[in-house]
Order: sequence, then C-alpha cells, then structure tokens
Amino acid sequence: MIKAPEVHIKATKLAKSVKVTDGSLTILHDISLTINRGESVAIVGASGSGKSTLLSLLAGLDTPTAGEVYLAGQALHDLSEDQRAAIRAKDVGFVFQSFLLLPGLTALENVTLPAELAADKQAKQRGLALLQQVGLAERSDFFPAQLSGGEQQRVAIARAFITSPAVLFADEPSANLDAVTGQKIEDLLFKLNSEQGTTLILVTHNTELAARCQRQLRMQAGRFVYDDVKDIADVG
Amino acid sequence: MWASIAWRLFWRELSRGELWVIAFALFLAVGSVVSLSGITEGVKSALMQRSAQFNAADKVLRSSQPFDPAVLELAQQNGLSTAQQMQFDSMLFAGDAMQLATIKAVSDSYPLRGNLELKRSADLVSGEDTQLQQGQLYFEARLFDLLNVAPGDTVELGVARFTVAGVIVKEPDAPLSVFGGAPRVIMHLADVAATQIVQPGSRIGYRYLFAGDTAALQAFEQQMTPKLTVHQRWQDMDRESAIGGALERAERFLLLAGLLGIVLAACAAAVAAGRYSQRHTQAVAIIKALGATRAQIRLIYGSHLLLVVLFSLLCGALAGQLAIQAVQWGIGFYFADYRADFSWRPLWLGSLTCLVCALLFAARPMWRLANTAAIDVLKQPAVNLPLDKLQLLSGSVAIWGLMWLFSGELILSIGLFLLCAAFAGILLAGAALLVRFAKPVAAGQSSARRLALANLRRRLWANSFQLITFSLAIFLALLLYFLRAELIGQWQRQIPLGSPNQFLVNITEQQRSVLQSFAADNNLQLGQYYPVVRGRLTSINDEQLLQEATKEDRTEQRVGVGRELNLTWLSELPANNQVTAGDWLNTDAAQVSVEAEIAQRLDVSLGDTLTFSIGGQQLSATVSSIRKVDWNSLQPNFYMILSPDLLAEFPATYITAFYLAPERNLLLNQLARLMPTVSVISVDNIINQVNDIIAQVTVALSFILLIICLAAGLVLVAQVQATLEQREQELAILRTLGAQYPFLRNALLLEFTLLGAMAGLFATILAEAMLLIVQQRVFELPFQLHYNLWWMGPVMGMLLVTGLGWWQLRRLLQIPGAQLMRKVLQG
Repeated sequence: MIKAPEVHIKATKLAKSVKVTDGSLTILHDISLTINRGESVAIVGASGSGKSTLLSLLAGLDTPTAGEVYLAGQALHDLSEDQRAAIRAKDVGFVFQSFLLLPGLTALENVTLPAELAADKQAKQRGLALLQQVGLAERSDFFPAQLSGGEQQRVAIARAFITSPAVLFADEPSANLDAVTGQKIEDLLFKLNSEQGTTLILVTHNTELAARCQRQLRMQAGRFVYDDVKDIADVG
Repeated sequence: MWASIAWRLFWRELSRGELWVIAFALFLAVGSVVSLSGITEGVKSALMQRSAQFNAADKVLRSSQPFDPAVLELAQQNGLSTAQQMQFDSMLFAGDAMQLATIKAVSDSYPLRGNLELKRSADLVSGEDTQLQQGQLYFEARLFDLLNVAPGDTVELGVARFTVAGVIVKEPDAPLSVFGGAPRVIMHLADVAATQIVQPGSRIGYRYLFAGDTAALQAFEQQMTPKLTVHQRWQDMDRESAIGGALERAERFLLLAGLLGIVLAACAAAVAAGRYSQRHTQAVAIIKALGATRAQIRLIYGSHLLLVVLFSLLCGALAGQLAIQAVQWGIGFYFADYRADFSWRPLWLGSLTCLVCALLFAARPMWRLANTAAIDVLKQPAVNLPLDKLQLLSGSVAIWGLMWLFSGELILSIGLFLLCAAFAGILLAGAALLVRFAKPVAAGQSSARRLALANLRRRLWANSFQLITFSLAIFLALLLYFLRAELIGQWQRQIPLGSPNQFLVNITEQQRSVLQSFAADNNLQLGQYYPVVRGRLTSINDEQLLQEATKEDRTEQRVGVGRELNLTWLSELPANNQVTAGDWLNTDAAQVSVEAEIAQRLDVSLGDTLTFSIGGQQLSATVSSIRKVDWNSLQPNFYMILSPDLLAEFPATYITAFYLAPERNLLLNQLARLMPTVSVISVDNIINQVNDIIAQVTVALSFILLIICLAAGLVLVAQVQATLEQREQELAILRTLGAQYPFLRNALLLEFTLLGAMAGLFATILAEAMLLIVQQRVFELPFQLHYNLWWMGPVMGMLLVTGLGWWQLRRLLQIPGAQLMRKVLQG
C-alpha cells in the first residue's frame, strides 16, 4: 500500500493587502495550496506578480490579511511574531537573492548563526562540515566582503541547512550570479535538498530552474494561473 | 549563545566606528558633567576659602552683646577653632593731637584664615615683621601723621596708655572700601578692659570667628542657628567679598556650560545611536528571519549598549576626576592655602547623566530595532527611518530633567529648554525655506553646483535635522566663547592693567601744585582730583538724628550716621555709579545724591531735605537722586555727592590716585617726606588678589570651552557619519555613471560649505539673541552687539562643517567606483 503523502504546508484563501497613500493595494488574492513533505515547488511569475509575498507568508515572515496558512500543522496566521520566529529557527531555512550575510561575521559565523540562535552546542562542528560540503572550508574565516558573489551564496546555502530545516525557502537564489556560478549554486541547492529530504519552495522567474522542481506554480497579478500538478491530474 | 553572537558582533562593530561615536558622546556627557560640577564645586570652595581669608575665618557670627562662652564651647565641641574680635570707634590722644579711630581688638588666635602682617615701623616698606602683643597698638599708616607720633611713642585710649608698636601692613578682614572711614587700629582683646571704654550702652561690635572643615562648620551652624538671639546673626560671607559678584558669575557660566554640554552630548548620542539602529535594520531583519526572537535581538543589541555605557562611564568618570584634580592643582598653584575636598556628587551626577542619556537617547532606537519586521529582509532598507515622536518627547523631557537636576534652578532650566526648543522650531522652518529656495537658484549653475544644490534639496528632512544639530553645536560654542570673553573682559575692565594702585588722601589746595610737579618729575599719571569736605549729617526733614551709629559698620548699626562723612561735589555722575531713582544733580539747585544702601538705612527718599553740619555751619540740600555704587571698583566712592556750588566756600582737601609699578615703591617714601600730611593708601594687595582669582577662573573657563567645543565637534562628526551610507550609495552610482573625482570633490565641498555657512548664520543669529538674554538675565551685564560674531559664526560654520565633512568623506571619494559599488551592494 502506498503511503499517502504528508501535507507539510497548507494555505487556504490567502490574501495580502498593503496600505498605500490612497487606500489599499491587494497583492495576493484568494490563494489556496497544499505542499507535501519533501516536495520541491517552484513559484514562478513576472516581477510584481506576488511570488515573494507568497513566500513570506508561507515562511511565516509575514502574516496574511485574510486566510489561513499552516506549516507542519501549526497555524502561522494565529501565532505571534516571536512564536513564528521560534518555528523558523527550528523548521525553516532561507536562501535569498542578495545573499544577506551579516557583514560583521565571518563565513563560519554566518553559517552557525541560526544554530546558535537555537542554542545548538554542535553549531561550530556542523558549520564547518557544511562549509566543507559547499567547498568553502578554507574560507571559513573570511568576511563576506572578502568573498565573491558565488561564494557568498554558498555560505548562505550552508547557513540555510545548518538547522536541518524541514522546509527551505529560496528567493531567486541564482539571480544575482553569472550563468555558470548560478548553475553551480542551483546544483548545490538541489543536492543538499535531496540529501536532507527537505521540502523546497523556490521563487524564481527562471523557467529552467523552475523546471528542476517537481511542481510549478505560476502566478500573475497575485493569483495562481497554473499548477502543473493540477494540470497533470486533470489530464490523468 | 546570544552572548557569544553579541560579543562577536560587538567587536566587529567597534571597528566600524559608530559605537565609538556613541561611546565618545556618553564619555563626554559623563566627563563634562563630572568635571564641570567638580570644578564648580572646587572653584566655589576656593571662593569660599578666599572669602574666608577676606573675613579672617570660615564663618563669622556677629553680635552686639558681649561674648558668650557657651557659643565658643559649642564650636570647640564641634572641632572648630575659634577667635574673637571686638570693634568700636574711639578717640585716640597723643599729647595735644586727637583723632577718631576704628579700634579692632583681637584674641591670640586671630586671624583663623589669611594673615595679619604688622611691621615695627611707621611705613609699609621698612622695619621688621612683628606679632601683636598685649599693651601694644598697631596703626594704619596715615594715623601716624594724623596724631604726629612715631613707633615707640605712647598714646591714650580710654583711660589706658599704650605703646604704638608699628604699622598694619595687611589686615585680612579690613574693609575693602578704601575710603571707608576712620583710620584703623589693632590691639589685643585682653587690653580692652583696661581702657574702660566698654560701658553699658556703648556701641561695640563683637565677632566670633570660626574655622574648620565643611562638615563641622555645617553641623555647628545647624546647632547654633536655633539658639541665636536677636543680637546675633551670621555674617554673609559671599556678598562681603570684593570679588563675590565676579565669582558668582563664573559659577553661573560653569553651570550654563554644563547644561549646554549635556544638550550637545545628548544630541551626539542620539544621532549616533539613531544611525547605528538604522544601519542595523537589515541585519536585524536577517537575524529575525533566521529565527531570532525580539528578546534575543534586544539582548544582543542591549548588551552592545551596556558595554559602551560601562566603558564610557568608567572612562568619563576617570577623565572627569582627572580634570578636577588638574583644576584643583591649578587653583592650588594660584592660591597656596587651597584645601581640595573630595566629593561624590560630581560622580553620581555624571553617572546619572550618562544613564539617562543612554536610556532615553541611545536605548530607545535600539529598543525599536527589535521591532524590525522579519519581512524587511525581502525589502530594500529604508534610508531614513521615520521620526520617533516618543523618543523626541522622552528625550526632550530627559534633557530638561537633567538641566534641572544639574542646575537646581527650575526657572532657568525651563527657560533654557524652551529657548532651545523654540530655536529648533525656527531653524527647522528656516532650513526648509532655504533649501526650497535653493531650487530656482540651481538652474543655470555648473553641474557640480547643481549636484550640490540638488543633494541639499533632496535630503530636505535629513538636512534640516542636520542643520539644526550643526547650528546648535556652533551656536553653543559661539555662545560660550563670547560669554567667556565677556566675563574675563569685564573683570579685567574692573581693574585694568595699570589702574591706580596708590591713593593719596588729605591733599590740601596748596599741595596740589607740589604734587603735580612731583608727578611730572617722576613720570606719574595722576588721576582725577576728588574734593572732600568733612561734614556730619544732623537732620533729615528737620528731624534731628541720634549721633551714635557709625558708617563703618554698616550692617551692625542701623540708626543714623554717627560720624563725619566725606562729602564731595561733582558735576558729572562718577563712572561706577548708577542713578536708580530721581535725576542726577542740577548744578543750580541745592541738591544731594545719596548712595542707595545708606538711603535705605536712613529711610531717606527723593525730595527729603538733609542738613549737614560742616565746621559748625549748617547746610541743607534736597535729595535729587539715589545712586547705586560699585564698592568693588577701587575708585573713591561717596555716600553723599552735593551740587558743585554748595560746598565751594568750605575748605576742602582732595583725593587722587596714580599707578606705581611695584619696583618703584621707594618713591612713596619720597612722597611721604615731601608731603607728610598726605596719606598714601596702597591697594596693591587687593588688586593682586583679584587678579589671581581672575587668572584661575580664566583657566577653568577655557577648559570648559574646550569641552564644549569637543562636544560640538562630536555632534558634527556623528551627524556626517549618519549620512555616510546614503552618500556611499550615491557616490557608487555617480562613479559608475562616469563622474570624475574633481567633479565629485567640488560637489561635496560645495554642499558642505553651503550647509556650514547656513548653520553658521543661524548659529550667529541665535547666539546674538541668546547673548542678549543671558547677558542681562543671568550675568547682569550691559548689552552690546558682538560685531566679531557676525563674521566668526558663518566662517566657523563653513570651515568646521566642510573640514569635518571632507575628513569623513574623502576616503569614499578615493575608492574606485567598482569597489564602492560592491561595498554598497554587500551592505
């Protein structure tokens, strides 16, 4: 008997509006989705389509104006900022487009930061091991300014995996890099993801990168216009 | 774990500079408060001690009743040393000559502070030094001539006979009004009984002198005050010191400087902490996205602030204490007997200031930092954080609270605070107008100029705030610079270099020509001749006066003027006099101008008729004006000045004065031989004492000005640093677009020059307005425009702001465009 996939992330009728000078602007409309544990999902769409906003809601960085969002069964929309932070510390990893390393910390210190925040006593060993995995063991004492863009993103990936998160959110991970480096970063990301069995949610407008995911969600003007899994089901 | 993150971030942040600015601001706040309050206490204590020397004791209790042994016993129980002194006027007889004199009888331990210098001779320069002994009298120099006696001769006082042993060279508590009264005589207290002068009803002033440490004196005063009888009262020490007024002004200056120092340091701390928080917004967003709670963020950044505060507190307190020691050493240098007391007050006041500044100015932005939303990690960091109204409010209340705490003066602190707030408001409006006005001007300018103006305009809000802080800093430095100059100038004007130090009294009409040729032969500049006619005030509005009281002891004897007065006539109001009621003398009428204190004591008002008895003749005059007299001016001062024609027929003697360099003192002996009846009164000692104090206070004032300038400079640095990041971004873009070094340099220099000139101009206007208020309200100085200020302010603003801006930003200009762009992109 095939085991039913476990739902990892679930969103129901999510909406997000922001206040602007003359009233409010709705960025997300009525978004519902379910992502299973271990699944890799690409959210694609043009700039301003609402991809990053959706990512921020699913990761608990922000709260929706309406609707519900669950991460591993926990209702993010009902939690306080600090409760959501605790969930992020335990279950969530991030890779950002502009790397977002702390300039005052070394590569190793940047990698171990989330583990240290979660009071992990093995942080340093784990950090060194991860830097080894991303090929930067010799540069563990370098500061971000001393690293190239690709190297910085590798540090960011190591940082994302240090807490062995159940879910990894990546926001345009290769957009700031040249094609060759970008490719290497993507490879690294997918390799670590498959090794650790992490659920991957990736925001990109790069169709090739999106195609490497098991599933693609296309957004336009704050709504889903296309879900390849759903399509397959329709076809099937 | 957070501690290790905090510790690592702290060390890395130290190398980036902003933490140092916060640390230095707090250091300056602590250091300036500790040193200023310590120095104020030190100067005050020096003044009290100097004043004690002028009073021969730390504390004086006056009485019109004989000495009470219980009082002396209580003082001794409190560990104080004591001395006694009696003073009365009496006639001295030497053969056929007689003269009214003021006799001071003192106990063995007199004086408790300062020195009594006596010489075994009839003049001040020759003869050996000696000590007061029983059976001896010491005379003020002029009395030898008046009585026609020499040392070793015998005179009668009351029913007793005494040997005239020598001359009084220096008497610590002699009245400073040099033409005050009858010649002075010092005798031993034990000899008074033998004279039988003390009879029931005699007008005798008794003084108990006390000296000891401050705590013992305070304890004794507290125990004694409730026991005082109607005949006893404490002598007001400060007011009776010749330099009390000048020193009180110095204290107020220090106080004001302290208040301004706090405002500046608080501004610098707030600006630096604001920038620190702003720069860390994105880092906090990242850390929060990675799972940090608000509490963790607060612990991390709170610990940074705590370390900075502890560091600044320790260093500031240490530096402040060192400054206090240095100034105390300096005071000790000028003032040999100075005893420096250690006080905790400056230290706790400084610590409190530091904590309040840290909590309300620096902690608040850091506290807000933890509220950064994790979602901000996906956004561009804001260049300017919105104004924190709560911080503005709490910071303002804190500044005012510190001012109040520091000054202890509610009205002064509210007034100063409101003025600063009003100025800030006016500046903000002015800056907005000026920056807007720059828009049309920009058209048609060279591209560097256009860029500078565009930069100024674009950062309207940031620039307005910057302009306020620049203006405030320059304004405060200017204000203190000018007030310091004014105070010192005023003191020096009081006794200008080469001002008369030798006064000649009792010159007859015939001697004037002799004196004139003596002066010409010896190249001496004689001053104005003041005619003097001795007369007695006999009645006011036909009401006969009791002839008992003496003028000399103004505060003890309130009834009438019991002795002859020096009457003069002048057509012009003397320079150190100010008419407070009525009009100056009408030369055609029989009028008299009365000194304010004596007018009050005699209950004389405008229009009253005073009758004087001069050589048996009666003369009446109507009171036309009441005058305030500066008794500290070391000029001949008169209680009564009459219309010129009134006294013309009475034989007069004259007073004049001249400056004699100390090395030419022997000329005085020639003069004494030439005109034996003319008395020479030397005020060299008084002048030297006052000059010493002016010198030591000047050192303290200069030190304080330095602190304020440092604080002002720090505000400028903090403010320029605050815009560093934004400028980095702009420069990166401009460099990438191909802007050349000279273009960027010119634009930058021009922007700062304009900003500095504007700040300097605002500061000048504010400083002039504030000088007007402070001069009149705080220092009671006459108002005058400061022409130098009007060029100094804008020039100083331009040079300072451009210099500091260039110093801070020139490195940015030299970074290659690509590297700069990378730096910006990497944050």
